[in-house]
Order: sequence, then C-alpha cells, then structure tokens
Amino acid sequence: MHEVIISNVSYSYGSNLVLRDINLTAEAGDFICLLGPSGCGKSTLLRLLAGLASPTTGSITLDGSTITGPGLDRGVVFQDYSLFPWMTASQNIVLALEQAFPGRKKSDYRETAAGYLEMVGLHDAIDKLPGQLSGGMRQRAAIARVFAINSPVLLMDEPFGALDAITRARLQDLLLQLWQQKEGERKTVFFVTHDVEEAILLANRIVVLGLNPGNVKGVFSVDLPRPRIRQELYLKESFLVLRDKLVTVLHENILSELDGGQTVHPPGEGI
Amino acid sequence: MKHIFTVSNILFISLLAAIFWPSAEQVPWYLLTVIITVKVITLLRIAASRNVQANLGANDVSAIIFTVLLAWYLLTTRYVVLDKMLFPQPEAVLRLFVAELPDMLKGLLNSLILLVSGYCLALATALPLGLVVGWRARLFHAVNPLTKVLGPIPPIVYIPYAIALLPSFRAASIFVIFIGAFWPIFINTVNGVFNIPKGLLDSARVLNLKERTLLVRIILPGAMPSICTGATLALVFAFVLLAAAELIGANSGVGWYIKNFADFADYQRVIVGIIFISIVVTAITWGTERVEKHLLRWRN
Repeated sequence: MHEVIISNVSYSYGSNLVLRDINLTAEAGDFICLLGPSGCGKSTLLRLLAGLASPTTGSITLDGSTITGPGLDRGVVFQDYSLFPWMTASQNIVLALEQAFPGRKKSDYRETAAGYLEMVGLHDAIDKLPGQLSGGMRQRAAIARVFAINSPVLLMDEPFGALDAITRARLQDLLLQLWQQKEGERKTVFFVTHDVEEAILLANRIVVLGLNPGNVKGVFSVDLPRPRIRQELYLKESFLVLRDKLVTVLHENILSELDGGQTVHPPGEGI
Repeated sequence: MKHIFTVSNILFISLLAAIFWPSAEQVPWYLLTVIITVKVITLLRIAASRNVQANLGANDVSAIIFTVLLAWYLLTTRYVVLDKMLFPQPEAVLRLFVAELPDMLKGLLNSLILLVSGYCLALATALPLGLVVGWRARLFHAVNPLTKVLGPIPPIVYIPYAIALLPSFRAASIFVIFIGAFWPIFINTVNGVFNIPKGLLDSARVLNLKERTLLVRIILPGAMPSICTGATLALVFAFVLLAAAELIGANSGVGWYIKNFADFADYQRVIVGIIFISIVVTAITWGTERVEKHLLRWRN
C-alpha cells in the first residue's frame, strides 16, 4: 500500500496564495499527471509531496502517516540539478544507495549502481560526469537513481521538459517500461507536466490545475489500454476527444485570465 | 619565409649579434645560456602544439623577453649608459644568481615554513567555519557583521603588534600570514555556499543526507569554485605578508635577503633576490593552478 492522500491542502508564500484547497487521493500504483499552465502551482504541489515545503493548511499522508519532511520513501526527479555535477553517474547513484540501504559493502553499491545504469541504457556512461552527458542521458541517470533506491512513490517535476521531442519520447517509453515492469508492486507516480499529449500517454488520471490561486479544475481518467503505442494512440477517437477536452479546460483558464478587464492595444493604435 | 622573419627570431639574432660582434673577447656564457634556453623552450612548445593562437603567444612572450635582455645588455654592457651600481650587467647578475642559489634555497626553506604554516592554519580554520556559517542562516547573521568590520583591515597593520605580542618572530609572521589568508578563504567559502544552485540543495535534501554527509559531499564541492578563488587570493596575500614580515623583522628568508643587501647597497644581489622570488612564485602559482584544475574538473 502506497496510498497518498492530499486533503484540504493550501499553500501560501508570504501573502501570496499559491495553492487552494487541493484534495486528491492516489491509490497504490497510480500514475497521476499534474497538468497546468506555468504558475499554477503544480511544481509547488510536488514540493509539498516531496516534503521540501509544508502545506500552510491541510495535510498530506503517505500510507496513513503525515509527510513532515523529505524521505527516501519518495524518489524525486527534477528537470535539472537532479545529479551532483562533481560525481560520476555511478557515484551519484551510490550516494543515494548508501542512504537508502546503509551498511553494505562499497563494491555492492557500485555493482547495483552499474546494474541500474545498464537498465536505462547507460552502460558506457557509468564513470562519466554529468557535464559529459547529454540532457537525455542525465535524466536517464536520474531515473536510474530513483529506481535504484526503490522508493514506492515517484515524484517527477517536468523531468523531460528540457529535452528535444525524440529524446523525450524515448524517455517516456523508458519510464513506462520501468513503471510497468512489476505488476504487483507498481510505484505510485506523480508527474508534473504542461504537455497534454505527454499526460495522456503516461497517466491513469490527469489532474488539471488552474491559475490564481492554484486549484483543481478537474480530474480526468485516462482509460486507454496499456501498453500505449504512440503512433496508434494519436489515431484513436478516445485520445482525440480527451485531448480536446483537456485543451479546452486549459484554455478556459487562460482566457478567463485575459478577460480580467485587460484590453490589448496593438502598437501604433490611435495615431 | 614568414615563419623565419618573426619578431622573436629577429630579436634572437640581434641579441647574438650584439654579443659576438664586432669581437667575442668576453663571451657572456650565462646570458647566452638563458637566451638559447628561452629560444629552445619556445620552439619546443610550438612544435608540440597545433594551437595557432597559443603558438603566436609563445613566440610573442619570447620576443618580449629578448627585448628586455637586449635593452639590458646594450645599456649596461655594450654602452654603459645606466648607473653601474643601480643597473648591474645581466651577465654579472646571472653569474651571481647561480653562485647564490644554495644560500637562497636555504632561505627559501625558512620562508616556506612560515608561509605553509600560516596558510594551512588559515585553510584548516576558514574552510570548515565558512561552510558551517554559510549553511546555518542564524550563524551567518551573527557572524556577518563581524566579517564586515574585521575582514577589510589590511593585515600588514597587525605586524608591529604581532611582533610585540608573540614570543618569536616566527610566531608573529605565521600569525600575520594566517590573518591575511583567513578572510579571503572564509568570505569566499561563505559566498560559495550561498551560490550553490537551490535545485542541487533540493536534490540533496530529498536524499535525506545527514548534516555531516551533506556538508562534506554536497556543500563543500558545491562551494569549491568560490573556495578556489578565495584560496588563490589568500595565497597572494600570504606572499605579500611573508615578504613584508621578513622585510621588517627576519634574519633569514627570501624577503630578508633582499632587505639585507639593499641595506648594503648591493643591488646586484637585490636583483638576484627579486628574480629568485619571481621564479618561486611562478612555480607555486603553476602548482596551485594544477590543483584547482583537478578539484574543478567537473566543470567542463
């Protein structure tokens, strides 16, 4: 059981209300995408889940106990800065393993790290520094790390946001493969993105967040069968319907923002 | 043809001509050795590297050296235009340099003991203190005002008091070098901790590292670029203070060497001392650059 319950969570930064009344339950093995425009607080919500910040009101529980700080029961992948640039790919994973499984032999850690790096296709990059790796390879290594420490909950903050389309597609497939590997013990995933198609491809459920303050605009189940093949998916009626629905909800939000009494004057008007 | 008529080559030939023409009665062998060594090193460097820009640079450096030597030789030896006492001949200086080398090396050992003691003491205290103060917000707010007041005091002003206060000249010098090296390392370490990208700290926090592990494996390497800047600056300060302390109160060492012979108006030896110090400083700078490159090899 790795059930995550977010109940009545609000978060303010100074006098600025970032998130308001978020309620959300993730069952064990759920894959939830947090979808929303930038500034909607989706990354903030992930930070609350990670324990890097605490909700102003409300609480988040994992398996019944309240989250009060960071912990290795939740593995996190950020968009950048996941890996420490002064450690090789292997050393980065070994450091995490030492925290997760203390008291083992150095060589065990190294072997385990090498195994996970191989799993994500980085067998040639074991002793390379992050600076010597491409953006996609760095994210592979970061994914290898969270799977190595085997945390039941996975928090991913736009992990593929800085990658080109092809690399991104490869990494999405890799992530799904790893997540689906063990049927009975799937990790509970929270995946932040602003990419509608990415959300549909990955998620069981998509939570759309709205702006000012961040709040849940709607939760959409994705009933497309797995494994989802990208090329087939894009042709399916249900995919297209869901995409339109999501885009409409997202745009509603942006349009209502613009409605707020603002008139856009093209340059040169009124000469 | 272009490669033959370089400024460096023309100056090289001019120097040889000035030495051997019209007569070669007294060949300045030491000067000749230096000139040929410079030329050979330049040619070897150019042969070893394909970097056009760097090779042009090497050639230009040798040209500058040759210009100085040529002017020095012409104005003191060929035509004695400059005051003989203040501007000794290059050949005499070089011969004396070789003769004095054993004594100067012994003096250098004394100087280096002071320098290394003071500097290492500063490194051993300023670095851990800087890491902890940079990391703990409350400590920082307590210490920062003190840093602002004490940091900018030029350490040279401590010399007379340190000599009076401490039992020996050696202790006083080490103390002053320590003070001078302490602040640049401390301030840059604190800044280095501040400048670690927040994202990296988040990554460290989600791994639930113990504070000790965090400081040693994340904060220290994360602040290392800034620490290296501070440590290099501190080394320069340490050198200045070493020389200053030795000029004031030592009875051995490289600074004392120069001061002592200046008192006797032996400017030949003063110049020998200056050349020696510049070689030592160059060697140490080269060494620290290597260390820095190794420590920061992860930054591309």
